[in-house]
Amino acid sequence: MRVADKMNYNQSLNAINKNRSEMMTYQNQAASQKRINKPSDDPLGAARILEKKTEMQGFEQYKRNILSAKEFIEYSEQSLSQASELLIRAKELAIDQADDAANGPDSRRIVAGEIRQIYEQMVNIANRRFGDRFLFGGYKSMTTPFDMTGTYFGDDSEMDVQIEKDAYITMNMPGSVVFMGKKLHQQLPPDKVLQDDKTTVEVRGPASQNPSQDPLAPTAQTIANSAEGEWGIKSANVFEVLRDLEIGLKANDKSVVQNSLESLDNSISQINMARGELGSRVSSLNTGLETLQKLHVDSKVIQSEIEDVDMYDLVNNLSKTQTQLEASLATSGKMLKTTLLDFLR
Amino acid sequence: MATRIGTSMNVGQRAMMNSQAALHTVSHNIANKNTEGYSRQKTETFSNFPNGVGKMRTGTGARAASIQRVNNPYLEKQLAGEKSQLGFLSGQSTALLRLEQVYNEQQSDGLNSSIGKFFNSFRELSTNPENMAKRIAVKESADLLTRDFNRVHEQLQDIRKEANGQVLIQVNETNKVAEEIASLNMQIQKVEISGGFANDERDRRDALLKQLGELIDIKWAEGKDSTVTISTADNAILVVGNEARRLEAVPTPGRENKAEGDFDIQYYHHEHAEPMVLTERIRGGKLGGLLSVRDGDVGEFERKMDSIAFEIGNRVNDLHRQGHNAYNQAGGDFFAHVEEQRGASGSIKINPTVLGDVGRIVAGMDPNSPGDNRVANMIGELQYSKSLLDGATSVDEYYNGIVAEMGLRTQKVNNLLETQEGVVRQLENLRESYSGVNVDEEVASMIEWQKQFDASARVIRTADEMLETVINIRRY
Repeated sequence: MRVADKMNYNQSLNAINKNRSEMMTYQNQAASQKRINKPSDDPLGAARILEKKTEMQGFEQYKRNILSAKEFIEYSEQSLSQASELLIRAKELAIDQADDAANGPDSRRIVAGEIRQIYEQMVNIANRRFGDRFLFGGYKSMTTPFDMTGTYFGDDSEMDVQIEKDAYITMNMPGSVVFMGKKLHQQLPPDKVLQDDKTTVEVRGPASQNPSQDPLAPTAQTIANSAEGEWGIKSANVFEVLRDLEIGLKANDKSVVQNSLESLDNSISQINMARGELGSRVSSLNTGLETLQKLHVDSKVIQSEIEDVDMYDLVNNLSKTQTQLEASLATSGKMLKTTLLDFLR
Repeated sequence: MATRIGTSMNVGQRAMMNSQAALHTVSHNIANKNTEGYSRQKTETFSNFPNGVGKMRTGTGARAASIQRVNNPYLEKQLAGEKSQLGFLSGQSTALLRLEQVYNEQQSDGLNSSIGKFFNSFRELSTNPENMAKRIAVKESADLLTRDFNRVHEQLQDIRKEANGQVLIQVNETNKVAEEIASLNMQIQKVEISGGFANDERDRRDALLKQLGELIDIKWAEGKDSTVTISTADNAILVVGNEARRLEAVPTPGRENKAEGDFDIQYYHHEHAEPMVLTERIRGGKLGGLLSVRDGDVGEFERKMDSIAFEIGNRVNDLHRQGHNAYNQAGGDFFAHVEEQRGASGSIKINPTVLGDVGRIVAGMDPNSPGDNRVANMIGELQYSKSLLDGATSVDEYYNGIVAEMGLRTQKVNNLLETQEGVVRQLENLRESYSGVNVDEEVASMIEWQKQFDASARVIRTADEMLETVINIRRY
């Protein structure tokens, strides 16, 4: 083959250019530690990275949601545990006053005063705030839920907070349910049961999708004691129970006091059932948090697998290209220099 | 018939002239060894017809018959075709690389991240809808989102503008090259009509044809009169004989699939003819590549961005209007209302009343329910809703699809470009191998001709001495 001088030059130039551009690619990868520096490096990989990034953004948000829901729920649970203690104290007092052996109108009047105090403390607990939000007011979270007569000004709404792509958890427990024994979810079965395979969590869709719930409906005022409440037990209006007991004691009416024992029991069970539910929500949140953390790590690993450069490969390639470049330079230098003229004297 | 001493002198003299001519060609070759598109030239010599009759016909030396270039027209034409393809791909590649940068989130956060942040801010709001700080966070993330949409829109516009600038430059270049080819046509015709070889003019014209092919898709043929006729975009004659017809880049008033102000390429059959729009018919060369990205890819991605922005804006607004804000008023629009999908990514912005007062952000359905977070939840759900856009993908998936598509196109064009560069390189090597200058060869040839020059001079001197001998014959 006839070789023109231009061919030599072009060849040398191309070889050096190619080596240099390869070097640059590898240096770029070394600097960013990434295999994919722009979408065209690996289009499908780049799209998957974005997918993973969105996922991880979501995980971060769900973690934050879980943490704030958890705080809210834990505080609610703590308040209810105090309520439960108060009721137990009331029951002890009622048991003491239920027979005539050591009790007369005077002692009952004194105890009635104590029940009054318990009642007031109960109202205070029901009006607890978390930050500036009332725990037990439903959506009416900025209005004091109960007045001193035990009238409810909140609603029956549940605040659902997203804790996973397809899962919500209810953050609050309306005062009407906890303290007044209103039954909420009659015909609504949990519409989603999911979580990782170890735990099953009852999850309800966003509140908005719940047609049976009308937050504008009349409040729980009218709920009668001893109808069936939220948890399939006899429901109790805690405030009424306490007030009845107080009145009974004041009136020195033994039978009223005796009757109130059962409704106090119902009240205690109701509060404890509520506590139980809140507790199980917390534990499912904890599981959710763990799952999220696991998923987060998984996503991170996948992202890294897609986009990060294999250092061993990279260093290998770099040194290979370096050798190539040196060879190109050396041969070019030799080849381009020599002509026939060098040998003619 | 006897030979004469003078004849030898003549033969020698002519041989010296031949050597000089050949040396001249050698020097021309060496001088042009780096000239793009140059074909080495060769001096052809023939032996002169002999004098005399019978068995004693004495030769009368050599004459330089012609200086011709060593060139393979078939190879040149093939090379021009491949270069045209190379021009097309490099035009596409340049524009696509810019386009790709708009969607590159590998180094810094882009739209994918701001879409996620936007929806997450509503999830955050849902945990505490009473809280003003959370509302401010929603406003900020929405501000970021709209800015990012606007940024993408603007960058796409910039790419369009840049492509238009390039189109203008390429059209001017095309006109310049076409004019030079037309004038070369005339020169070549002049030289060759009298039987000469217009070597250097032809080299230059071949080079220009390749250059023109890189700019725009052309077809050409050489006529018997040595001129080339060039047509572009199917049937628009660009050069005929010594006449070059101009292309013009004219801003379009905007028509289907064309943004207003984009340059159309117009062509005039003759001076007073109605202009003909060639834009859609130019499918090759750099110009073709630029136009295909400008009118194809950029336009398509613009429309896609617009549809995302339009859809997010409307769907969020639909939900937002259903609820009540912190002042128990019925919710208004969250994003300022956008009438038309076209250009939505550029015009999307937060409703000014919301921007001025975050209390107007709607989190809940019902009035007087500060803890109501249902609308916030529903807006958060939009991120995963598959009922947006084409009805099969969520916003995220749709956007990630755009990025993948963008990358795939760029990757494809880059791969094709690389292959094409290889093809062109190979053909160029073939061409150089045939037509290129090799200095060794030229030096050898130089020595060869020099030796002939020396020897011819010796012949003359010998003849001279012989003559002298003849003149001085009497003295002996």
